[in-house]
Amino acid sequence: MSYLEYAVKTVPRGPRKVLYLNWPLILLLTAIACVGFMMLYSVAGGSFRPWVEPQAKRFVLGLAVMFTVAMIPIRIWRNLSALGYVVSLILLVWVELFGVVGMGAQRWIDLGFMRLQPSELMKITLVMMLAAYYDWLDLGKTSRPVWVTIPVIMILVPVALVLKQPDLGTAILLLAGGGFVVFLAGVHWAYFATVTAMGAGLVSAVLRSRGTEWQLLKDYQYRRIDTFLDPASDPLGAGYHITQSKIALGSGGFTGRGFMQGTQSRLNFLPEKHTDFIFTTLAEEFGFVGGMSLLALYLLVIFFCIAAALTLKDRFSQLLILGVAGTFFLFFAVNMAMVMGLAPVVGVPLPLVSYGGSAMLVLMAAFGLVQSAHVHKPRS
Amino acid sequence: MTGPGSDLHDAPAPRRPLRPLARILRARDRGENPDLIERANRAERHDHIRDRARRRAEGRLLVLGLFFVAAFGTVAVRMGTLASSDPAEPVLSAGGASITSARADIVDRNGRLLATNVVTSALYAHPHEMVDIPHAVRELARVFPGRSEADLTALLTSGRKFVWIERTLSPEQVQAVHDIGDPGLLFAAREMRVYPNGPLAAHILGGVRYGREGVQAAEILGVAGIEKAFDDRLSDPAMLADPLRLSIDLTVQTTMREVLEGGMKLFAAKGASGVMMDAHTGEIVAMVSLPDFDPNHRPAPLTSGDQADSPLFNRAVQGVYELGSVFKIFPVAQALDEGLITPDTIIDTQSPMRVGRHRISDYRNYGPELTATRVIVKSSNVGTARLARELGSEKQREFLGRLGFLEPTSVELVEAPGAKPLLPRNWGEIESMTISYGHGLSSSPLHLAAGYASLLNGGTKVAPTLQRRDGRSLGPRVVSERTSAQARAMLRSVVTEGTASFGDVAGYEVGGKTGTADKPAPNGRYYDDRVLATFAGVFPASDPEYVFVVTFDEGHEIVNGEPRRTAGWTTVPVTAELIRRTAPLLGVRPAIEPVVQSGLREARNGR
Repeated sequence: MSYLEYAVKTVPRGPRKVLYLNWPLILLLTAIACVGFMMLYSVAGGSFRPWVEPQAKRFVLGLAVMFTVAMIPIRIWRNLSALGYVVSLILLVWVELFGVVGMGAQRWIDLGFMRLQPSELMKITLVMMLAAYYDWLDLGKTSRPVWVTIPVIMILVPVALVLKQPDLGTAILLLAGGGFVVFLAGVHWAYFATVTAMGAGLVSAVLRSRGTEWQLLKDYQYRRIDTFLDPASDPLGAGYHITQSKIALGSGGFTGRGFMQGTQSRLNFLPEKHTDFIFTTLAEEFGFVGGMSLLALYLLVIFFCIAAALTLKDRFSQLLILGVAGTFFLFFAVNMAMVMGLAPVVGVPLPLVSYGGSAMLVLMAAFGLVQSAHVHKPRS
Repeated sequence: MTGPGSDLHDAPAPRRPLRPLARILRARDRGENPDLIERANRAERHDHIRDRARRRAEGRLLVLGLFFVAAFGTVAVRMGTLASSDPAEPVLSAGGASITSARADIVDRNGRLLATNVVTSALYAHPHEMVDIPHAVRELARVFPGRSEADLTALLTSGRKFVWIERTLSPEQVQAVHDIGDPGLLFAAREMRVYPNGPLAAHILGGVRYGREGVQAAEILGVAGIEKAFDDRLSDPAMLADPLRLSIDLTVQTTMREVLEGGMKLFAAKGASGVMMDAHTGEIVAMVSLPDFDPNHRPAPLTSGDQADSPLFNRAVQGVYELGSVFKIFPVAQALDEGLITPDTIIDTQSPMRVGRHRISDYRNYGPELTATRVIVKSSNVGTARLARELGSEKQREFLGRLGFLEPTSVELVEAPGAKPLLPRNWGEIESMTISYGHGLSSSPLHLAAGYASLLNGGTKVAPTLQRRDGRSLGPRVVSERTSAQARAMLRSVVTEGTASFGDVAGYEVGGKTGTADKPAPNGRYYDDRVLATFAGVFPASDPEYVFVVTFDEGHEIVNGEPRRTAGWTTVPVTAELIRRTAPLLGVRPAIEPVVQSGLREARNGR
């Protein structure tokens, strides 16, 4: 990936770039967004308001952002990575100090025309930063302790800031997304094995310490763990979401109750039914078949990303695309696990389907980067 | 990107020098540029590293891909499981299930309800789901007059996601809250302990409180009386359908409470208690302590002053008093049983009697000598003190022990073990003499009832109980049947010709002994105007069925302008009224009294 090669091979220029966009990926993203519009329409009781309209506008805006990002050469994005990361960090600190408190956590900066959620921005700039770092780093140094410590710090600083908001879901996404990139960059197995072992040790220590005098968590935190492990023990408290969404999934059965026929979600049994728990509406109305179809769409998105990454020789582009794919995967994996009671409720939206602005724009921008890498691939 | 030959190197190649001296020298000899060798070597090494990194990256990607597939698979399998599951509401399990609010009923000896559970609702709120908190607060304050708007507002805006508002709601209140129509106001199923007879048998039943509380149920725990003593039995899931059957009779209990309440008013007494007990089985058919309370709204214990003044205090069981002359029958019966005397033995009753520095005198001087029967009839302190001296303190102690006066009663109330009789520290001669007429030993009215029952039922020991017994079982013998019959005859004489003449109830052969004990003052002496007036006895005297003990605390009756405090004027007529009303309820038939003639009575007893 020497710069020489860019010069030797041809990179599309001007309006011709549009021809080189990864059109199947764009179609897939649009299809997923349309599933989202359908569900929002159903949840609103057969109305474009209050959710479908703004969501569609945002998706169009997202597409525009994606195209714009895609047209800018990937090299420029690479050079902007460090700047983007630092700006995101500053915004995170800013939101900590002056942010608007919403839903019990400080997350937004009100820009007037839109609310900016720096933690969303961080998801993509962190991946960019790490990809750029490993592109810059001498391959031979990848696994040296000093050079492993630097990306670890790069990940942990924003994670700590996000945890403080507090937003556990985003923190997990940042941690795991960053971890993906570091893993793919080829850092030695032993580091991951150590971290995994330490994590397992910590979890077992936390669980074992319960009831003893060196108890590590507060009692209420243990009760939350209990509720996660057995939601039925507290069906009206913290277990409510999970229990109700499980009922919705069960009520959908194999083929579902039909579009607009869901009862659970329509009758307001489910909180957050248009955001984090929108999948329950889909599962209830279109059943197992509908759920699996959406799953297939997501799987295809990731497949196309990996395929695109494999055709690239540029380390930055490769890591960036895989990092974006990984983050995208984490979004919906964590969301689904949460909805289906496989993971605690941490507040992660279903990507491109859940109602919400920041996440969609950031994801579309991220796919813009994927497109940019794809478009600006040296071709002979 | 893949350099030539890189596929051949699976293992890291040995690090080769960039400028191998031999080759460079050779190249120099040939006149070539040795830098080219270094460049070639450098390129080769670079390719090598890059290849390794690439292979590693592909391996990593494969691992990650497998991870993705595994995650997808898990989600898909989970979705399939959930989709094929029944969409049933979850049933409360685990921690919550152990909370059981069910509790068996309590019924009287004939199956009439004394305590039961009623389904009701508790009100809680999810403030974050409430539509219009100010409106809801206004309405709630109207539905629950005890709650102020300020309190409710503070509660609902405290930021908590779950708050209890009211523990138990009446059906009307439930409807009124429904009518507010706020989706954040929610009801929780509750069971509530209800005592349909109000204060009746309040001290026996005790009361309950809520224990652990869940949304689906709240535990009900006994706090006093039977409810606490039988807590495990009442909440045992296997025995829920099986009501706890007590020995008390609701009708007798009602009558006793009514009569005692009337007497208390009449005599301006501070308190009253009554026990009616089956003389043979020890079953308590009625037990009243006044003042009482409504166990549906159990009052809080007193925070200051004497707990004995609280309505919660069960005078019949927890009250430990010097009961006075009612004790006199014990030394006399013991002397009869020992063969020391017969009912007609003449006893020296010269009053006052001097014992060391002490002086024992009678209420009135009854002359220098009386028969044993007359000692009881006239209630002579001197006469019983003399008998006690004859018997000695050891024997007296042993005899009272046999009758149960040295231990707490075994009745099934949590309060009973706390009511230990107060015994003299040094049980010497003078103490045994005062105890013989009921001073110096304090016990509860229930002790006295059990003692009377054991002595008078033919002479076998009974233990007081609140559980219904089926059939009689004879306890260990305390005195001979003959002694028992003689004691009953003496008590009968007290009513026919002695201090309890107001106690006669035609046809029921009431026999009993009065006791008017001066109450001890805090200074160690006795009040001269505060008495505990007791009437204890048995009916019918010739064929004993029930034993009774009635006490009034600090009561008096004004007769001819002067206050009369002795039991004969206060307790006895009330007790007569009690027996008149309850004997028919207890199924005791009025009989024509056998002629009192000792010879005939002996014959009747088969001796």
